[in-house]
Amino acid sequence: MSTTNEYMLIFRGTDWHVHLSPEETQQVAGRMMDWFTDLKAAGKATGGRPLESTGKLVTGKNGRVVADGPFAESKEAIAGYFMLQVADIDEAVAIAKDCPTLAYGVQVEVRPLMDVCPYAKHVPADQQLAEAIA
Amino acid sequence: MTPTQEPSQVVEHLFRHESGKMVATLTRIFGIEHLTLAEDVVQEALARALQTWPFYGVPENPSAWIMRTSRNLALDVVRRQKVFRDKQPEISRLIEEENPDPNEAPFSEPEIADDRLRFIFVCCHPAIPPEAQIALALKTLCGFSVTEISRAFLTTEAAIAKRLTRAKQKIRDAGVRFEIPSGEELSRRLDTVLQSLYLLFNEGYKASSGDKLVREDICLEAIRLTSLLAAHPAGDQPRTHALLALMMLNAARIPARVDDQGNLLRIQDQDRAAWDQKMIARGVVHLSRAAVGGELTEYHIQAGIAACHTLAKDYQSTDWSQILALYDRLVEIDESPVVALNRAVAIAEVHGPQSGIDAVNSIADLRSLDAYHLLHAVLGEFEWRLNHLESAAAHFKKAIDLAPLKSELDFLTKRLRSCELR
Repeated sequence: MSTTNEYMLIFRGTDWHVHLSPEETQQVAGRMMDWFTDLKAAGKATGGRPLESTGKLVTGKNGRVVADGPFAESKEAIAGYFMLQVADIDEAVAIAKDCPTLAYGVQVEVRPLMDVCPYAKHVPADQQLAEAIA
Repeated sequence: MTPTQEPSQVVEHLFRHESGKMVATLTRIFGIEHLTLAEDVVQEALARALQTWPFYGVPENPSAWIMRTSRNLALDVVRRQKVFRDKQPEISRLIEEENPDPNEAPFSEPEIADDRLRFIFVCCHPAIPPEAQIALALKTLCGFSVTEISRAFLTTEAAIAKRLTRAKQKIRDAGVRFEIPSGEELSRRLDTVLQSLYLLFNEGYKASSGDKLVREDICLEAIRLTSLLAAHPAGDQPRTHALLALMMLNAARIPARVDDQGNLLRIQDQDRAAWDQKMIARGVVHLSRAAVGGELTEYHIQAGIAACHTLAKDYQSTDWSQILALYDRLVEIDESPVVALNRAVAIAEVHGPQSGIDAVNSIADLRSLDAYHLLHAVLGEFEWRLNHLESAAAHFKKAIDLAPLKSELDFLTKRLRSCELR
């Protein structure tokens, strides 16, 4: 579990909107806007960005292969993310359930952010110092 | 988490309206043969709005944002695709024009209006069959989706898609040009355009069990397009204003047309306070603009009849003599038996139900109305007023057998019962 109380919502799915009518597109956009605005106003969301659906894919030793991509099955392609600041994962999940695009097949992944050291809080202070010097 | 009650700050139907505008403008830029491409680009622009606005907020000028994005996506296409290499004038112009202010619209209002008018003339081209014209206008000019159109007309998406394909094919085959005709050609084509817009309005206005909301929007779109036409030198003719008046004076009554249970209300049963007074006022303005010059078209007469109904303080004050006078002129121009039937209703109001029956019986080609439920409903009403209850009941029964809509069925059943109860 995250000890930073930070969670990322990762939105997966990049072509679910292709068959929406202009009218429906506007309605869904409105719902998404309201959702994010409310979360920010309540201090639950600290940020978020959308991603272009393709860019480049760098692979191989020394990154010798650069191709256009990713072309992952578009249901899994990452469309964007939110950063949340909430009490626990249950709250993050509850928020995720409100995502208006779930109805269109979008998947929302909820990932706790890792702390510097998840066990740091349990380690006595002088042992931490000893480890740092060593 | 409960959402705030504040609505998003985007004007209702903005995406749909911008879609219509941009498809027209991009069609001018790409060429009519690339209509589908224009549609795809606009769809992509709206998709990008959907993907970015939730994170960055509604832009200061949403309409300009959509235009700008459409334009930039169009530029991408032009640079990528070989077919645009030879740089037709419109393409060159697109590439050369710089527009650094992100809040300024890249296309001017008059430019857009011209493009939309060109598109109206394309959609309403006589080479395209009427059903296909309507589908094409609704999709490209008005921004409805195939799904929305199919729901409005109670048909399948495949059927609508087929009509669209047909329309585009006809445009290619007939070499339809993306332009507003001029001179003699304009006058001829204007008649076809007005006919198509009238048909479009009627499709939306018809009380049918297709999606009610979409159908009402179709009426409003027909009004928007006809307004555009009337405001442009090419279309600013008395008969255009007459058509517009006719549309507005009828559409103004839509809010009162249906009761809580979704049943259709006759004009005498409608709550006139629910009629759209602003639209009525606009209709009257166009009616006065129509009353210029010597031409009297079918639209003039129908607008006059609509005005008689809509401007009456209440049903009892309806000037039926005036309505009858108008129908007398209308039957001279339009020989359809349905018009004659409507005239019979007016006759009954002025001269009594027996005169109404006589008028119905003297309709030429009366037999063609045999399967028309309203013929029997009207005769039923006349007989009921004369207290010929058996005869009235027989007519209502026949009407019930033929009635296509549940709301009409319910109404006619009540009328039948009232015969039996008396």
